[in-house]
Amino acid sequence: MKQKQPRGGGPSGRAVNAALGAAGLAAFLALGEVVPRLGIVKERYFPPTSRIARALGDEITDGTFWTDLGDTLTGWALGLVIAVGAGIVAGVVISVVPYLREATASTIEFLRPIPSVALIPLAVLLYGTELRSVLLLVVYASFWQVLVQVMYGVRDVDPVAEETARSYGLGTWARVRHVLWPTALPYVMTGVRLAAAVALILTVTAELVIGAPGLGARIAVAQTSQAVPEMYALIVVTGLLGLLINVGARSVERHALAWHQSVRGEVAV
Amino acid sequence: MHASLVVSGLRKVYEGSGRRVEAVRDLTFTVDAGELVCLVGPSGCGKTTLLKCMGGLLTPTSGEVLVGGRRVSGPPPGMAFVFQEYGRSLFPWMRVGANVELPLKQKDLSKARRRELVADALESVGLADAAGAYPWQLSGGMQQRVAIARALAYEPEVLLMDEPFAAVDAQTRADLEDLVRRLWRQRGITILFVTHDIDEAVYLGERVLILSASPTVVQEQLKVDLPQERDQLRTRVAPRFAELRTHVYEQIQAAKRGEPS
Repeated sequence: MKQKQPRGGGPSGRAVNAALGAAGLAAFLALGEVVPRLGIVKERYFPPTSRIARALGDEITDGTFWTDLGDTLTGWALGLVIAVGAGIVAGVVISVVPYLREATASTIEFLRPIPSVALIPLAVLLYGTELRSVLLLVVYASFWQVLVQVMYGVRDVDPVAEETARSYGLGTWARVRHVLWPTALPYVMTGVRLAAAVALILTVTAELVIGAPGLGARIAVAQTSQAVPEMYALIVVTGLLGLLINVGARSVERHALAWHQSVRGEVAV
Repeated sequence: MHASLVVSGLRKVYEGSGRRVEAVRDLTFTVDAGELVCLVGPSGCGKTTLLKCMGGLLTPTSGEVLVGGRRVSGPPPGMAFVFQEYGRSLFPWMRVGANVELPLKQKDLSKARRRELVADALESVGLADAAGAYPWQLSGGMQQRVAIARALAYEPEVLLMDEPFAAVDAQTRADLEDLVRRLWRQRGITILFVTHDIDEAVYLGERVLILSASPTVVQEQLKVDLPQERDQLRTRVAPRFAELRTHVYEQIQAAKRGEPS
């Protein structure tokens, strides 16, 4: 049972890729340092990398920064958990109950494209600048990502696997658990990964626009008080969060789907 | 000897969008307890429809199927299925042991008893060491052995095999045929083996049922009077084997032309 070499040509190829990636990032950071210093762009609006790095250092030694980061992560995580839970339950129920898919399809197609930010006025009316305002927007945006993927996944159930399960007397619940859920899991994972990214975008947006406490609100404060390097430093933090979330989601995916063709690769027997 | 499987007056008509297709017209046959019967017929003769009706996956238009004396209205508890598409019938997210055990979890068995049945079934198909592997790490022939082990562990009264060896290579196929003969003799289960391969039907069966073209009726029932001990080399060159396969072949050609036997 030998595993074929993954794309990229094995460990040495991966090392080369990592080196190239690091070099690219270093070049980008160097460019950000040099361009403002040469006066090509105004330093006031576009501070050099080193200045942003210093501002970032000041931020992380400030206690209120961590409180704001905590608020952002709370909004993100709570919103994501609610959206994923609701998306999975709704997706499975809509797919399993006869006629429900047909009955809900048009409504879903109407509601799904509504941009979550269009609900900001509603959120403010309902909840003001509370966390619940953030959650409304985050859940609305992420829910559809999960729901749509779950519904695709459920449709992917192999008829032979389904017949096998039925012929061995597996009831509805056992078939959902042992056939439908594992089949849909790769799709669910994709949905969760997309939802995690969308949830972060909406959390920061809500904080920025509504003023709910968090990194977004902190960026707005930095901007209005002309603390431009601090504003950039906070933007860098949100970027890093997004990166961490994506890396985390991918590693969970690889772990949970070790059996799946996309992860296991081609197996030579 | 009592009949394990009774099919009487089975008829299935598919109706849909202005089209009416009579797949199975009138099928009546029985399989005795402990018998190994092969079912052959021209392609597209409604074998799948018949199997699905027997497995309780499809409701017949009229007629009935009895398994162990009970009328089939849903998947019967005393029946196990081995499908042709082993790669899709085994669950890739479960290891071999879990695949074999899953149907047993629907029965009221203790954990120890389940383990015992799984180990015994895997042992008897020669895969005692494979319980911890995933199905996709095994070759095609081994995967079909796992599917057979899953059916055996279920301890069925009747085992339905739907062209189980159509997708494996010729050498593996010969091995698997001998495995089915051996398991049948050891365990005394009733087996209905569906195939499109005439040689396979004659080699395996104690009796061969030849179906007509669709709309299906039983074209002929043929007793295979070959010795109980069969082996790939000698049985297949025996004069009686040649006579039987020629007869079955002619019947199937006649069935294709739509002639009665």
